[in-house]
Amino acid sequence: MSAASHTETAPAALDTTRGLNVMVVGVGGQGVLMISKALALIGQRQGLQVKQSEVHGMAKRGGVVFSHVRFGAEVWSPTIARGEADVLIALEWAEGLRWLEFLRPQTGVFIADTRRIVPPFACRSRRHGAPMAYARETPAEVLDKVGEGYALDATAIARGLGESRAANTVLLGVLSASMDVSAADWLAVLETLAPPKSRAINLKAFEAGRAWADAARGDPSLSFDAGFDTHVTQADLPDVSVRHTINAAWCKGCDICVKLCPERCLALNEHQVAYLKAPQACTGCHVCEWLCPDFAIDVQTTLGT
Amino acid sequence: MNDLMQPSFDVKDYLRLQMMPHFMCPGCGHGIALRSLLWAVHELGIDKNRLAVVCGIGCSGRVGAYVDANTFHTTHGRPLAFATGLKLARPDLTVVVITGDGDCLAIGGNHLIHACRRNLDLTCLMLNNEVYGMTGGQVSPTTAVDRLTTTTPHGNAEPTFDACRLADAAGASFVGREVTRQAPALKNVIKAGLAHEGFSFIEVMSDCTEIYGRKNDLGESPEMILSQKSDMRPEAFGNVADEPFRPNRLRAGVLVQRDRPEYGRIYRQRAAAEQAKAKAKP
Repeated sequence: MSAASHTETAPAALDTTRGLNVMVVGVGGQGVLMISKALALIGQRQGLQVKQSEVHGMAKRGGVVFSHVRFGAEVWSPTIARGEADVLIALEWAEGLRWLEFLRPQTGVFIADTRRIVPPFACRSRRHGAPMAYARETPAEVLDKVGEGYALDATAIARGLGESRAANTVLLGVLSASMDVSAADWLAVLETLAPPKSRAINLKAFEAGRAWADAARGDPSLSFDAGFDTHVTQADLPDVSVRHTINAAWCKGCDICVKLCPERCLALNEHQVAYLKAPQACTGCHVCEWLCPDFAIDVQTTLGT
Repeated sequence: MNDLMQPSFDVKDYLRLQMMPHFMCPGCGHGIALRSLLWAVHELGIDKNRLAVVCGIGCSGRVGAYVDANTFHTTHGRPLAFATGLKLARPDLTVVVITGDGDCLAIGGNHLIHACRRNLDLTCLMLNNEVYGMTGGQVSPTTAVDRLTTTTPHGNAEPTFDACRLADAAGASFVGREVTRQAPALKNVIKAGLAHEGFSFIEVMSDCTEIYGRKNDLGESPEMILSQKSDMRPEAFGNVADEPFRPNRLRAGVLVQRDRPEYGRIYRQRAAAEQAKAKAKP
């Protein structure tokens, strides 16, 4: 299959020559900046002016990263105003919803990965099966509100190709199907951007995204990830039962366990001896046991309840 | 799946329970260091009867007394010298030396450099709390500049000793460093040091909360342990010669590991050769 065949058959929804505002959002480490760079290069190849601005640096903590890419005959401001993005590409589902108001109300194209990266503060409890505070909207509900929308499990597609980190290029492939840019241009840009080691996988991911978009255009029921489950829980954490014992005779009340417990479930009593204040919040992480200088804490964890 | 799920290690199996609770002050990092050592011993499956712990004098010198193994409380600064004799006489034992910053670098500095040079299969744990805690908080070779101690009431003016660079320069075949805050990582460094054949020098960044922390207004024990930085980079070690030594920005992990002939092995080969020669004589 050659990518070039698609440009002739698929109708181009976005007229690049009249200028385009693209917003790319995601969390750190997903490749937001890689795709915005690709878009900027595409704009340059069309002989257009390009301005790109970004907020990055939260990457290490899994924080939000966003990038504005604007191109057109003449671009003055590097940022996109609310409600003026022609395309919103979201590499993470909740980030997509968070930035939705930047999309042009009727005509904006929304492209999102339904992959969920739950931020630490959304975990009310780190125990197995505990519900988490996360967006409850289904892809079908969200796509109803936008002009044109695609919500796909790009990470699963990329993982199927052998590298889940190529999800950003899958989304780029989906976008490319909506733009009047020749496939040759896209491939040339990917060739220059992707490092030699990951060039092959990036090209494959791009093709996969493009093929997915073509299929979704033919059948709107395919344009969202039907397997999306709104109930987000801590299922990937092991289900453990914890036996937490404190030897009061050895405890010297140094307060280390109280202050360093990630769940804040320990406290000192009136005799300055540590006790387990909130046993239901204890996840059995062993931090108090490891850091007790007096060997007073013993944590036993066993799989299953 | 991970450390949490492994069959639990019970530190009480390795302690002399009749001596507990130990004498150390509330929040002293030496307890965490001892626990990490015993954890490493447990994970390597070292028999308690084949483990010898040699200690010097000071707070660190008392740590060994709580280990339910063969322990040896020696003279000030000389645990490495005692351990050298012990290991040469009994190569079947795993010999661990627990020493402090003053014990190892000041009083026993000479023994340290020669132990590094000799490369006998010992594991030396230097518990660095930056002060002579037991005698009332005098300045030690690793006290940071400007810190207050009983002998430096206007702030320490002496430059600080980087024990890992010293050990590296003296030829130690394994040099590691870790903070007590990262107890599992500390356990892994100690494990690597115990498994290494040759002299392993491990600097454990510990906290003296009662004397040093209080005098310098470093907060209570939780604050002191929280202030131990976790962003340490082992690969940066070796090209920091021009950088002043700052206790809060240390390189941690296994810093040096080199292949050098182990002294005990060479010694025994020579001894055997000499004995064979003596026998061959009429």
